[in-house]
Amino acid sequence: MTEYKEWIGIVAIACALLAGVAFGGSYIGTLVVWIAIAAVMASSLRFVLLIGELNFASAAFFGIGAYCTGYIVNHADLPFVLTLALSGGLALVVSIVFGGITLKVKGPYFLLIGFAFTEALRIFYTRMEALGGNSGLVGIFPPAWLDAHYQYFTTVLCFLLILGLLGIERSHLGKIFIAIRDNENVVRSVGNRVFFTKVVCFAIASTVAGLAGSLHAFANNVISPLDFGFMLSIFALAYLKVGGEDSPLGPVMGAALLVCVASYAQSLGGNEHILYGLAIVLSVLFMPKGLAGLADLLRRKKESVA
Amino acid sequence: MQEVFQLLFTALQISAVYILFSLGLTLIFGVLKVVNFAHGQLFTFGALVLSLTMGALAPSLGHGWAAYLVAGLAGLAACLAVGLVIYQFGFKRLERDMTGSFILSAGLVLLFEGLMLEVFGGAVRPVPALLEGNVQMLGLMVSRQRLVLLVFAVLLTAAILTLLRYTRFGKALRAVAIDYEAAMLQGIAYRRIALYGFLMACALAATAGMLIAPVAAVTPTLGDAYLVKGFIAVVVGGMGSIVGAVAGSLLIALLESFVGFYFDPSIANLAIFVIVMVVLLVKPKGFFGND
Amino acid sequence: MRIMFHSSVALKTASVAAMLIAANLCAAETIKLGLSVPLSGAAANWGKGSDWLCAKAAQEIKAQGGIKVQGQTHQFECVSYDNQYNAAEGTKVAQALVMRDGVQFVVGSIGTAPVRALQSLAERKNVLLFTVAWGASIKGPKFPFTFSSMNTPLEISEPMISFIKKQHPEIKTVAMLNPNDATGQEAEKVTKAAWEKNGAKVLVSDLYERGTSEFQPIAARLNAVKPDLVDLGAVPPADVGLIFKELKSLGWNGVKVVEAGTGADGLLATGKDAVEGTYLGAAIPANSMTPHQKELDEGMRKATGEGVNAVQIGAYDAVWAIKAAMEKAQSIDPVAVAKTMPTVKFKSFYGETGFGGKDIYGSDQQMLLPVIITRLTGSTLQEVGRVER
Repeated sequence: MTEYKEWIGIVAIACALLAGVAFGGSYIGTLVVWIAIAAVMASSLRFVLLIGELNFASAAFFGIGAYCTGYIVNHADLPFVLTLALSGGLALVVSIVFGGITLKVKGPYFLLIGFAFTEALRIFYTRMEALGGNSGLVGIFPPAWLDAHYQYFTTVLCFLLILGLLGIERSHLGKIFIAIRDNENVVRSVGNRVFFTKVVCFAIASTVAGLAGSLHAFANNVISPLDFGFMLSIFALAYLKVGGEDSPLGPVMGAALLVCVASYAQSLGGNEHILYGLAIVLSVLFMPKGLAGLADLLRRKKESVA
Repeated sequence: MQEVFQLLFTALQISAVYILFSLGLTLIFGVLKVVNFAHGQLFTFGALVLSLTMGALAPSLGHGWAAYLVAGLAGLAACLAVGLVIYQFGFKRLERDMTGSFILSAGLVLLFEGLMLEVFGGAVRPVPALLEGNVQMLGLMVSRQRLVLLVFAVLLTAAILTLLRYTRFGKALRAVAIDYEAAMLQGIAYRRIALYGFLMACALAATAGMLIAPVAAVTPTLGDAYLVKGFIAVVVGGMGSIVGAVAGSLLIALLESFVGFYFDPSIANLAIFVIVMVVLLVKPKGFFGND
Repeated sequence: MRIMFHSSVALKTASVAAMLIAANLCAAETIKLGLSVPLSGAAANWGKGSDWLCAKAAQEIKAQGGIKVQGQTHQFECVSYDNQYNAAEGTKVAQALVMRDGVQFVVGSIGTAPVRALQSLAERKNVLLFTVAWGASIKGPKFPFTFSSMNTPLEISEPMISFIKKQHPEIKTVAMLNPNDATGQEAEKVTKAAWEKNGAKVLVSDLYERGTSEFQPIAARLNAVKPDLVDLGAVPPADVGLIFKELKSLGWNGVKVVEAGTGADGLLATGKDAVEGTYLGAAIPANSMTPHQKELDEGMRKATGEGVNAVQIGAYDAVWAIKAAMEKAQSIDPVAVAKTMPTVKFKSFYGETGFGGKDIYGSDQQMLLPVIITRLTGSTLQEVGRVER
């Protein structure tokens, strides 16, 4: 797929979703917001995969953003945009500290440290009286001026974030990320600061996850510690894997498909875990490049026929 | 002093299951370089099959050793069959692909948990104790079933260490773990060794699950807590290292027992997660890791 | 992909439209009752049982001629979704029930966090909501559409503890343990106060993580203070069994109390003979069951593998309460039904009852149910005391 076509694909899906908000009624609108937020989570996961690391801490940063928003709304009356910015900012600061310490380890160790961090934070929330303990925080509503347009706002912002990540991926910096994944030592030998670059990549992805968490808190109005367990990272992984991690379009397609299917399966009384589990297993085994890869394959076949 | 002794012994008992669990994880990582998240599900599956078979056998065999033996073999066979399927159709295609195989195992976790809930239901399944009652040992009260578990864990660990150190198969397995390409050049059938290693790990998980069943709440979510702890043990000890898995399990059990006693059980959980991060900062490969 | 997405949106829109049309067409017959309950994970049986009892109550009402409002006869139908015990899934369930399925009456909701997510939507959309969640923060005049259909520590602890203190006047010291969640934290506060008020000293009061598998350190800690009584407040049944078993192997042998103890099955499955003599505060004893209660209990055993318990009964009673309120108000509008609810009398699982609780919560939103204190002897529960309210 050419770079140009991926941009168009993402923008087209965004337009389709916005149309869904406009014409689909209230439930479809909510569904669209979930898709958009899920797509950002999966894109953030994919962004760290550019340097070859599976970032299980993304659920933790999503949670940090959501809890920061929840705390501000409940305890301090700050403007909406500032709340959003502070939530992303907190995720940024924490991710720089966390990444600065942990990105020295790689592969399975990095994965499991992120897993431990996510679970530790979850237990931490339950013990914090100010964060509502186990019951979580309630009453996180968007401001009155935005309330009617919140679904549009979230969808547009989410897709801007996704396009932003894609822009960075296509920049010079993004090329260094991929080079680090392919061979760290080569990158180092030509004078790049590998560790610093890794932290930058991790911090960008975590900030985006934090912002998504903030949007999630405003969209759901209620948050609780169990929302941000490691299962969230596994779900994001499912979106990514089903969509295909090679293309930036993949996470968006995976999120759209799985969120819709899950909502449909819910009304059939289906077990969500079986559905997501089956989706991951089948796509890993039979569709290693995901939906995006499948689409690519089909087009190439068509071209070769023509 | 008595208190400390009791806590030390408690830690030893808890670590027995963690050791059996993490040995399997580390074995799989050693031969396949796969982080198998679905290990906990096999553990649970073993316990569930045991309870089901015990229930079915109760009218004819009662709850004696014979029933345990038959049910245990059934659990083992069921887990090995599932393990074989997972390996042949799953991990074999993704060998040495760390990310891909991890994602596959994460999918298997969700799938198995959902399926087991549908098939076995959410109710707690009673499993009668193999040995009832307590014994007094060095001034400590210990339940007999726990003692059986401990003895089994020690024997199995010893057997595995011997197997790896002194047999041809064990040597081949270790060679594969260190450098599989070099091992293949030496004429070691990598595929076969990897399969046996994986099945051995499945058997360990099933055994651990079936040993803990009489003293645990047997439900489809039984393995979750052990998975987290087992993983932390392996990471702290060093992935792929057998000694590391044992040491890591002991450390986790000690923390759980002492922090849980002197502070609060919920803080103990937090402490375990904090410790793993600290350890990895000091020793990024764990205590005994060489990979 | 774009095509797939369009088709799924189209599918959704079509199904929603079809549902709306269908809802309009049979408005006179069927009223949908929603449930937001855990159907997976450790608490799956609570959700499955609630779903089964809701359907059972609807079936019984149908057999008795339905709900008669202004000359029309209505029937109930139950829809249950899995809230996985957290707020995020609770929100999804709330959206699906209220916005997609158009549910106006929720008869069962379990778990404080997901219930708060549902309540936040339900109170704004005028949806009547029954819950068995314990948090006092979700009840009262601020939430006119929310009602509770199960006793909470606020109702159980005080009568139960003073009863036990009378039975065992020698009790001077207590050790407490609760799960580290909304329910456990709430129970801890109330029971602790009740023990102090009744003249017993609480030596230690701990929280532990749900999903814990090794209870030896916890038991060691409880045993170390040598309490006369161990109170496991809101600890789930299977864990209660494990803790008492470990305590027994440590040589402890005192009085055992579980306020939230909903049944003997879980305790016996893991605790075996170590749970002998445990006092439970929310269980239904087999020896004093009416034939109708027995029938439900047996049906539940077939459906979930365990006997009926108070959490699940909440959904059953809520269905009957809604029927009574609808007939009294002569309306199926949730606003009118909610307004009438505090004044109705209806036949619950336990017998004739109504609503109260103004002195505690500030509004009459609490279903008045008897506190039945049971004691485990052998493998059965014996009723030892009952406080009618």
